[in-house]
Amino acid sequence: MTIFTVAVKYLRGRLVASTVTAVSIALGVSLVIASVVLGRGIRDGFIAGATDYNLVIGAKGSPTQLVLGVIFRMDLATPNIEYTTYRDLQQDPRVETAVPIGVGDAFRGFRYVATNNVYFAAFPWRHKTFALAAGRFFSDDPPSKPAYEAVLGAEAARSTGLQIGDRFYEGEEMAEYPLTVAGILRPTHSADDRAIFLSLPSYWGMNEVARGMAVKPLTAVLVRPKRMSDLPSLNRELNVAADTQAVLPSAVLLTIFNMMAVAENVLKMILAIVGLIVLLYVFVAMYSATMERRREIATMRALGARRATVFGIILAESAGLATVGGVAGLLAGHAIAYLAGLVLGQSGLVTNPLRFNLFELAVLVSVILLGTFAGLLPAALAYRTEVAENLAPLS
Amino acid sequence: MSEQSAVLLHQVKKAFPLHGGRALEVLDLEHLALSIGSCTVLRGRSGSGKTTLLNLIAGVTAPSAGTIRVGGTDVFALSEARRDRFRAENVGYVFQTFNLVAALSAIENVILAMMFADVVPQREQRRRAGDLLTRLGLSERVAHKPAQLSRGEQQRVAIARALANSPQLVLADEPCASLDARTANEVLAIFLTVCRQEKKTLLLVSHDEAAVAGADRVIDMTELNRTEADRWSA
Repeated sequence: MTIFTVAVKYLRGRLVASTVTAVSIALGVSLVIASVVLGRGIRDGFIAGATDYNLVIGAKGSPTQLVLGVIFRMDLATPNIEYTTYRDLQQDPRVETAVPIGVGDAFRGFRYVATNNVYFAAFPWRHKTFALAAGRFFSDDPPSKPAYEAVLGAEAARSTGLQIGDRFYEGEEMAEYPLTVAGILRPTHSADDRAIFLSLPSYWGMNEVARGMAVKPLTAVLVRPKRMSDLPSLNRELNVAADTQAVLPSAVLLTIFNMMAVAENVLKMILAIVGLIVLLYVFVAMYSATMERRREIATMRALGARRATVFGIILAESAGLATVGGVAGLLAGHAIAYLAGLVLGQSGLVTNPLRFNLFELAVLVSVILLGTFAGLLPAALAYRTEVAENLAPLS
Repeated sequence: MSEQSAVLLHQVKKAFPLHGGRALEVLDLEHLALSIGSCTVLRGRSGSGKTTLLNLIAGVTAPSAGTIRVGGTDVFALSEARRDRFRAENVGYVFQTFNLVAALSAIENVILAMMFADVVPQREQRRRAGDLLTRLGLSERVAHKPAQLSRGEQQRVAIARALANSPQLVLADEPCASLDARTANEVLAIFLTVCRQEKKTLLLVSHDEAAVAGADRVIDMTELNRTEADRWSA
């Protein structure tokens, strides 16, 4: 038997109190971890979604709305631009890749995103990869003969239950133009998991106004220049044009992150208060436990236990509580982040809550150190316990 | 003389400080020697300094004056840490209210005493604790927590704990005072038998006639403690 086994026996001896203390630590830690994991996941999700293309071209208006609407599908789509904008960019020698995007209505909350097959192509510079879990990509159909085929994002397919070959539409007015499921994508851990992709001719065919337009509409064009040095001139020219604006997604991300930072600072203050309350709770728990067993401590001293030994037992107990609470909190924090990720996913953001990092290890070590610190005064009380005084028979 | 004494006290005084700089003297003892392997019963009225004397010999309370030797070692010449170790290895202590650790089982309570000394190797501690509990008739109760044991069984666990490190001296402070008469007789008989078999020097605070009958020597605190004698003669 060692100091640690005695400490564990003591903790088990007052199982309810130990459990409540460990759970309170776990709750505090889980809040910290969940907020860190979610914050990190949201940032990563924004960065991963917005960094493949250097420019987003859309109608004049709010740059943030354009990026949120086109890339993350979190906002209303901006007004349309003309398809010719895409044609011009495709032929521009400075442009390596231009991808047309039309953001439409939604089927059961999953947004229609019209594009061409270039959107799914693998490029050396692309972070995101698309792979089919079933079926095939939609046909490259001519505007005169839309195929009305759809490729579903993984979450859209899972949630709607649609299978390859199924036909679907939303609203009686769309019954004439049902889409057929041609393919289902593997998860990409991005907003694309919640999208329903279709070809531009199908998109135009489904829209009564677009059907009658000579020059077809688009929501945006994603652009990747051949050289980064071409980016400023492209940006300037498209912003000077009467109908279009060019937005650097990275600049919009900075705006979003700055807005998030305000909320994060408030959250940090709340978490600091929670941490302080948990620390006080551990202290009170260990203090009352030590006061209750002064007689046992005096007995141990009378049996020959050194002051350092009883000090060590109390400290090992509080460190043990902090370790159990800290580890449980770490796991619970990731579980909360996972659940919150599912909710956030409905807004188009998908986080990866199963990823652990060094910061969390630092949080865990800090919790163990703080928990041990909370046990210092009770341990000092045990250290100073007067043997003869506390051995007296209870009346 | 001291080489042949398990315990030797010389001109020992103990006073407790009071408010206003005064002190309450509770013990004033000229000389006390306990021979090795003897069984001594200490008697006296409540407050006569019996427990204080035991605590002084155990080294948990420091005397105001005088020397206390256990097995030839001047207990209070040792540093506190060495005194703790000395106590763990050389003195067994049985308390009136057992003072078992509630969170530990019977066998763990016995092993706990071994943890503080360096007498029984760790791998042998469980076996020795089991043997002691078996000798005290508790072979079926080793895994029970104190709350699951009768008072008599708890005191037998406390006796096993006191003997765990095979100390030369065993101090017992009214070990049967909180037991009913029949249980007290049983526990006392086992206690005295085991101490005799193991050739322990036993100093027992007790008013039990059976203890007095089984003792080599009976000391009355009124005669031993000059403070006490003065109080009665005043």
